[in-house]
Amino acid sequence: MTTTEELDIINSTRSEVMGRKELTGENLFLAWGYPTAIVLLLEFAALMIWNEDWCMWLWAGIPLIGTPLMIYFLNEDYERTHHRTLEANVILMMWIFIGFASCVGGAAMGFAGVFPQCYCAYQGLLVGLGCFMTGIILHFRPKIICGIIASALSTVPLFFQGDLWPWQLLVAAVIVTIALIIPGHLFRQYVKQQRYE
Amino acid sequence: MSDFKFAVINPLLHSELRLKIMVALDSLKSADFMYLCQITDSTRGNVSTQITTLKEAGYIDVSKSGGLGRFSRTTCSITSKGREALRAYEEGLRNMFAQEVPAQDEQQVINQ
Repeated sequence: MTTTEELDIINSTRSEVMGRKELTGENLFLAWGYPTAIVLLLEFAALMIWNEDWCMWLWAGIPLIGTPLMIYFLNEDYERTHHRTLEANVILMMWIFIGFASCVGGAAMGFAGVFPQCYCAYQGLLVGLGCFMTGIILHFRPKIICGIIASALSTVPLFFQGDLWPWQLLVAAVIVTIALIIPGHLFRQYVKQQRYE
Repeated sequence: MSDFKFAVINPLLHSELRLKIMVALDSLKSADFMYLCQITDSTRGNVSTQITTLKEAGYIDVSKSGGLGRFSRTTCSITSKGREALRAYEEGLRNMFAQEVPAQDEQQVINQ
């Protein structure tokens, strides 16, 4: 092979890989969004009806439902495309970090005795930032806009303190709807359209 | 000039199929065996042989998943050593190309 031929191989292979790249992960936002919103609403209902300590264990439902769903959809994507892009990996790592930060932050707030007062704002901010960053990486404007709105709304739960704190959960459910469910559906529709074209 | 050429040619990457596999993996986080067969437009046997060679050189990582009740999936990803080797190889090729082009131009002028 001559130098030119080798450089041609490098360039053409890169172009082919880029051409074969397709958007994936269209179900991941929904896989986390719906369980989170449902758990938040259940938590709110449980606190309104019983208001006991065991109600706090409902939070565990978010990772317990979201993680298997995420693994299922990631495997499904991999089986279809046979590859994982660098961008998809960056987004995945970022969300794993956000999930980890959410758990560690929640535990730290629990030990510090400020869990119910601050957690919804903290979680809302993390989810909003995650949505914003995902939108930036994917160049998908609805996620960028929804991320900004959700991050701005994450300050609202701080205004519900004292006996009113369970209402923070309803605000958090709204934030999750804006940050995960709405952009999730829009992204799903966009990916399907791209695949069809 | 000839010494320089020999210095940059990495025999492991101086093969069309191995070069294609390395470039494809360099642009991705990971890819499975089927994807590499498709992107290189080669047979399974050829790709399998080259993957083994690259793995033995430490240029790629190969992992197998799945097992009972389903087909196993071979997933490949480039290592930092492989990435460095590819970068050095590509840079060497570009330097050689840059030196070859003025030489060819000079020859054309002489011929005219």
